[in-house]
Amino acid sequence: MKSIKTQSIVVVLIITLFWSCSNNVSNDPAPTGEGNNRREILIHWVDNIIVPSYQRFETKLDVMVAKGQDFTNTPNNQTLLALRTAWVEAYVEWQKVEVFEFGAADRYALRTFFNIYPADVNGIMANINDPTANLNIPAAYARQGFPALDYLINGSGTDDNAILAFYTNHADAAKRKAYITTLLTRMSEMIDNVIAYWNKNEREAFISKTGLDIGSSMGLAVNAYVLHYEKYIRSGKIGIPAGATANSAGVAHPETVEAYYKKDISLILTQTAHQAAVDFFNGKNVTTGENGLGFKAYLNAIGAKDNSSGKDLSSIINDQFTVAKGKIDLLPPDFFQQINTDRSKMIDAFTEMQKAVRMIKVDMTSAMSITITYTDNDGD
Amino acid sequence: MTATNKIQTYLQKTASPLPLIFFRIALGSMLFASIVRFWYNGWIEALYINPKHYFPFYGFEFVTPLGEFTYILFILCGASALMVALGLFYRVSSVVLFASFTYIELIDKSTYLNHYYFISLVCLLMIFLPANTALSLDALRNKKLAASQIPAWCTDSVKLFVGMLYFFAGLAKVNSDWLIHALPLRIWLPAKNDLPIIGGIFNHLWVAYAFAWIGCLYDLCIPFLLSNKKARPFAYMAVVIFHTLTSMLFPIGMFPYVMMATALIFFSPEFFHNILTKVSGNNTIVTTDRVFRYSRPARVCLQAFLAIFFIIQSVLPFRYLAYPGELFWTEQGYRFSWRVMLMEKAGHAEFTVKDTQGRLAVVDNKAFLTTLQEKMMTTQPDMILQYAHILRDHYTAQGFHSPQVYVDSYVALNGRLGMPLIDPHTNLANQHESFRAKPWILPHNHDSKGL
Repeated sequence: MKSIKTQSIVVVLIITLFWSCSNNVSNDPAPTGEGNNRREILIHWVDNIIVPSYQRFETKLDVMVAKGQDFTNTPNNQTLLALRTAWVEAYVEWQKVEVFEFGAADRYALRTFFNIYPADVNGIMANINDPTANLNIPAAYARQGFPALDYLINGSGTDDNAILAFYTNHADAAKRKAYITTLLTRMSEMIDNVIAYWNKNEREAFISKTGLDIGSSMGLAVNAYVLHYEKYIRSGKIGIPAGATANSAGVAHPETVEAYYKKDISLILTQTAHQAAVDFFNGKNVTTGENGLGFKAYLNAIGAKDNSSGKDLSSIINDQFTVAKGKIDLLPPDFFQQINTDRSKMIDAFTEMQKAVRMIKVDMTSAMSITITYTDNDGD
Repeated sequence: MTATNKIQTYLQKTASPLPLIFFRIALGSMLFASIVRFWYNGWIEALYINPKHYFPFYGFEFVTPLGEFTYILFILCGASALMVALGLFYRVSSVVLFASFTYIELIDKSTYLNHYYFISLVCLLMIFLPANTALSLDALRNKKLAASQIPAWCTDSVKLFVGMLYFFAGLAKVNSDWLIHALPLRIWLPAKNDLPIIGGIFNHLWVAYAFAWIGCLYDLCIPFLLSNKKARPFAYMAVVIFHTLTSMLFPIGMFPYVMMATALIFFSPEFFHNILTKVSGNNTIVTTDRVFRYSRPARVCLQAFLAIFFIIQSVLPFRYLAYPGELFWTEQGYRFSWRVMLMEKAGHAEFTVKDTQGRLAVVDNKAFLTTLQEKMMTTQPDMILQYAHILRDHYTAQGFHSPQVYVDSYVALNGRLGMPLIDPHTNLANQHESFRAKPWILPHNHDSKGL
C-alpha cells in the first residue's frame, strides 16, 4: 500500500511540475551563439541592412522629388533630362529595397504602390482628369510609382519634344503636372512612413518574434524573400515578358518588361534586384559591405548540408545564384529588343533562376524548419 | 501445462475493471477537450468546410464533408465523448463516438495524424469492452450492470494495442537516418534554440543524437517497463518527461496528453483503488461482487475479432516491404504504421494541364487547395494523383477535351538536396489509384537503411 501511495504522489507531482513548465514557455531572449541566434540575425537585418537601405533609397527619392518639382515648375528639356536621370537612379536604388516586403513594408504594401507594371496608361489618363481618384485601390496600383512615372516622362510622346508638349501645349497640361506631383509626394510620404515604422514600432516587435513558426519574423522574411525572388524577379522581370513561364504557353509579352518606355535600363534593374537578393541571403551589411548574419550564416551554423554530397547548402545556393547571375549578365540593356529578336537568352536566365527558386523555396525552408501551417502535425 | 491450457487459463482469468474504467474516463474527457479545442481554434471551418476539394482515403471516397452539418458531426462526437466519460448509455455512445470520430478523420487525408488513427482504433476496441461496469451512470442506474471483476484480457487488449503503438514507433526509428544521421531531429531542434533556459542546448549536434537514441530506446522499451510493477513509477515518469518535452518542441497538439493519460492503463487496480479511497474517504466504491462475463457467442465473436485485429495490426506496419524504393520517398505503406517524427519533407509541385486542341493552363495550387492541403500534397504521391484528377475534372468542365495533367515536382527529404518526385512525362489524368506500386514515382538517389 505504501508504495502505491508514493507512486501516486510522484505521478501527481510530475504532472503538475511539467504542466506548469510547459505553460511557462514564453518569448524570452534567445541564447547566444554563432550565426544561429535568430534574434541577432533579426537585429542585424533591421539595423544594418533594411533601415540603412531605405535611407539610401530615400536620398535618391528626395532627389527625384526635387527634380520633379523643377520639372513641373518649368517643364523644359533640361529639367526633363534631370528628372529622368534622377528617376533612373531612384528606380535602381528601389531594386535594393523591394526585397524587404515584410515588416513595415508589408504593413504599407509598399511594392504595390511603387512598382507594379506594366503601367496602366488608360488608368493614368483617367486619373489625370480626376484628381480626386482613389490611389489606394488595387485597380490604381499600376497607375502610380515608378512604372507610371516611366510612362509620364519617357512614353507620353514619341520624342522629347512631344513629351514636353504633353506638359506645356495642352489644355490638360496643368493637371498632368499635378499628377506627377501627386505621385512623387505620395512615394515620399510612404517611404517616410515605412522608415518611421521600422524605427518606432516594428523594430522591437520584429526582433522579439524569434521563432520559426507562423507569424515569426524569420518565417515572414523567408516567405517574402522567396516570393520576391520567384514572382517579382524571375517571373516579373524575365519570365513573363520572355514568355518563359509555363503559363504564358510560350507567348512572349515584350510590352510587359520593366521600364518599358525607357527600355535601356531593364538589365540594370534586374541585375540590381538579383544582387540585392543575393546580398540579403549573405547578410551583407550595406554600410561596411561585409557579409554578416543572415540566411547563409544561419544555414552554416545549423550545419545544413546536402547529405548526399556533403556540400554546404549555403554554397550550393550561392553557386546557383552565381550561375543565374552569369546568365543575366549576358543579356543586353534593352530586354524589349532582345525578346523581339532572340528570347532564348532570356529563357536561359529564367531556367537558372528557377533552379535557385527551388533551392530557397524547398531546400532552404526545409533545412531551417520553417512552419507554414497552424494545425497539429506529427512530422509525416 | 501445455500452451493451450495456459491460454485457456489466461482467458478464464478475471481482474478488477478499474484500470479500464479510468482509461474510459480519461479517453472520453480528453476527446471532449480535443473537440472543444478543435472548434475553438476554428479548425472545423478551416479544415472541413472552407476547402474546395478534399482528399478521401482509397476505398473511402464515399466519406464526404457535410458542409455546415459538419458542426453537427462534431457536436455528436463531443457529446458522445462526454457520455463515454460519464458512462452514460455506454454502448450507444461508444459506437457514436467511434463512428463520428472516424468519419471526421476519413474526410481528408491532409489531416491524417497517427494519433487520430490510434484514437479511432481505441474507440473501436472500447465499444466491445465492459468499461462501464463501475464509476458510470449506467452502473448507477442499473445495479445489475455493476461488476467488480471483468475478464483480464479485456484490459490487456488495450494494453497490448498501446504497447504495439510504442513498439512499432520504436522499430520505425531503427533506421540510418534516425540513428546514424540524427535526422530529422538535427534539423528540427535548432529551430527551438530560442526556448528559455534549455534553448541553447539545441545548437549542439550531440543533443540531436541523444534525443534520437533515447527516443528510439524509449519507444521500444516503454511498454515492457510499464508492464513491470517495480519499473512502473520510473517508466511513467519517463512517459511524462518524454511527452512533455515533445509537446514543448513540436506542434503535436493534444497527443502528448493523450499518451500520458493512456499510459495509466498499465497501473495496477490497487493504484486506482487507492486513489478512489483517498478521494471519496471510504473504500467501498465497488460494492458488488459480480463478475462480468460475456455470453458464449459474444465472447467467441469478440475474441475472434481481437485476434484478427491484432494480426492486421502486426502486419500493416510491414506492408511497405511489398513496394519497391525508399519508403520515406514514395510513402507507399507509410501511413497506419506508427511512423512519427521521422521525416522533414518539403516540396513544390507545379501542374500543367493541356489538351489536344492546344489549350494549356499552369495551375495556381492556392486556387484549389488550402495551405495545409498543398503542403501535404506536394510530398505525397497518392495525393498528387488525387489532385491531378481534381484538376482533370475541373478543366474538363472548363471545356478542355480529355485534358492531360503533368506535374513538375521537387521534393527535399531529410536535408538531402531536392529532386523530382514524379515523372514529369506521365499523364496523371490517365493513372489510377490502387494498392499496386506507382511506376511514375521517380527513384530517390538515397536509400536509408533499416526497418
